[in-house]
Amino acid sequence: MNKTLSAADVQASDVRPLPVLEETLRYLLSLLDSTEHSFEAVHDFIFDRTRSIRQDLSMQNLANERVIHLYEEISHLCVYSVDFIILTLKWVLIQVKFHVIARQRLQSCSTTSISSMHHLNMEQLAKTLTTLYDIYDANRKPDYIYQNEAEFRSLYVLLHLNPSSGVMGEPMALWFRKLTSVLIKSKEMCFVRNLLRLYRMGNYKNFISALASEATYLQYCTSEPHIREMRSLAVQCINNVCYKLQPYPLLRLSQNLMMKEVDVESLCHECGLETCTDSDGCIVLPTKQPNLRRPEEGFKGYDLIGFEMKRLL
Amino acid sequence: MAYVSMGEANRLITEYLNRFCDSVSYQDSSTLCHLLSISSNSASLLSLADALNVFQDASSLIRQSDKFSEHEEILAHLLPSLQSYRVGNLVEAYIAFEKFASAFVQEFRNWESAWALEALYVVCYEVRVLAEMADKELTSNGKLKAAGSLLMKVFGVLACKGPKRLGALYVTCQLFKTYFKLGTVNLCRSVIRSIETARIFDFEEFPTRDKVAYMYYTGRLEVFNENFSAADTKLSYALQYCDPKKERNIRMILKYLIPVKLSIGIIPTYELLRNHKLHEYINIVQALRKGDLRLLRHALDEHEDRFLRSGVYLVLEKLELQVYQRLMKKIYINQKLSDPARAHQLKLEVIAKALRWLGMDMDLVEVKCIMMMLIHKNLVKGYLANKSKVVVLSKQDPFPKLCGKPVGS
Repeated sequence: MNKTLSAADVQASDVRPLPVLEETLRYLLSLLDSTEHSFEAVHDFIFDRTRSIRQDLSMQNLANERVIHLYEEISHLCVYSVDFIILTLKWVLIQVKFHVIARQRLQSCSTTSISSMHHLNMEQLAKTLTTLYDIYDANRKPDYIYQNEAEFRSLYVLLHLNPSSGVMGEPMALWFRKLTSVLIKSKEMCFVRNLLRLYRMGNYKNFISALASEATYLQYCTSEPHIREMRSLAVQCINNVCYKLQPYPLLRLSQNLMMKEVDVESLCHECGLETCTDSDGCIVLPTKQPNLRRPEEGFKGYDLIGFEMKRLL
Repeated sequence: MAYVSMGEANRLITEYLNRFCDSVSYQDSSTLCHLLSISSNSASLLSLADALNVFQDASSLIRQSDKFSEHEEILAHLLPSLQSYRVGNLVEAYIAFEKFASAFVQEFRNWESAWALEALYVVCYEVRVLAEMADKELTSNGKLKAAGSLLMKVFGVLACKGPKRLGALYVTCQLFKTYFKLGTVNLCRSVIRSIETARIFDFEEFPTRDKVAYMYYTGRLEVFNENFSAADTKLSYALQYCDPKKERNIRMILKYLIPVKLSIGIIPTYELLRNHKLHEYINIVQALRKGDLRLLRHALDEHEDRFLRSGVYLVLEKLELQVYQRLMKKIYINQKLSDPARAHQLKLEVIAKALRWLGMDMDLVEVKCIMMMLIHKNLVKGYLANKSKVVVLSKQDPFPKLCGKPVGS
């Protein structure tokens, strides 16, 4: 990894000019799709490099006076500072994308240090989103929202779906107070508000199917842990609520949860429940089992079946 | 602005300075209060301001007399603040007032007794209000943030062992108002912790008016965090001890208390809602009484903006499950009338039909999901016979009331 530094990344101590920083960012983002190295290595590298870029940017912010003096004779001074805002915005957007995608990729990693990496990543995502919103707010024009603003605001809702997840932030009710009418009525915000309602109601079937049919890639990545939560809830519910003499067919459940039947079986076992085969050869879940437990805080997400990945890319 | 002659201006300013110094010397808090309420737009202050704008050099008057110059630090900023306020320069008015307030608080600290507590309240109030006005002019919130810092310092001064500590709750409430306006509600936490855990404070000792305001704000925080039992306790306290003549305050408390009560199964009368002009809740209550989901959704849509701004939207949306419970109860009661032997069996198909009648098209899978949730959260007692597509209700108390506890607890 160390040998493949781009020409842009040559002297870390010097403050890099804006066009160079842009190029570096593009390069870093392309690394996310690299299959050469394990994701952990990529993650660390990007994390490190993005932090140094951030420092460079903030240094440039303070040194803006100097930069302005440099370009004093040239008349596109104003254009330069506007470019700076746009670049900062682009930069933060890339950071957010990175953290969201990282979260999803981490789920398929197998090292033991995953949970701390994951937690760190979530913290960074939450902080980065907050920075992003501050930039949006600081450069607010009345009744205007930036091109991607609605989607990135919606990620906040998805991140805080579960109030006991420990992700930092203010209560959802307070957060909504600050949104403008235009944002609230946007397609993306309406979508996640509906998801929030379904989540809180425990309507696992509609939650999962709505997500599968309408979410963008970033929204999907951010919601993955909640899909898992809803699936666990479904299993828990069925066990507690259904008639003891009518074991629940896993095939039916797998359709509602958009999972492979074998994955449903695995999930049941994770919840401490036993499955068996009935007289017709179907796998069923006997209900009212006393050994129900919360599945471990692992990151093994089961695939979403019947979900068009192509739609998102 | 009224025309004032030089001589008249001189007289007005000197009179004010005398009153100020006398009120301090004789520890006359109520007079001092009137002299500091810049935003009250009282006739005497307005004419004083006019006088200042004519005279222009009030500081020379202050320095001329020993009596006045003793309070030069304070007066040097108070008078310019009033002057700026009068000509509509609200940013300058705030900046000067902030400096005055700092100097005043320093003096206050040195005064041994708590005689000037009421005057300090006025200062705190003015700091906040003038900051809000200044921010409007600047279309930012920098001044209100600065006001918040100053108020925290005042709180620090009052967090002491003597009688001055009784003022701490008033300042706390000013801080709450500031933080709520700024949207930095998380900053309330540190003051709350001080009030509730510091040994120097005894909550019961504080004036009732301040206790009511405190419980109102902390109650609202509990609503935002959906801690319904705590919210109920605090907001009910505020309602109980609120001055019955303060209709506006009562209405504000009820605005938050009603969603809380609804969440724990206590429904207000339509009369209460109408008496306090809380019409936005009428349809919600009706939806709960009738099990009408369509009406609930409609009510939420109709007042979406208002509910979102006050922060109760999510709480009201959550009532959906209770509305479902009511609907199931109605179906059950209907069945009891027509076929009592089999009333306790609710066919999923029948439920789906009832929902369709309400304009809600749901397939059986979704209906099943909802029924499972109702049973899981103990809003319905019974079990789901999945193969037979039937919910079998318990013979005893199939629709338990919430009785003051939130759903699913």
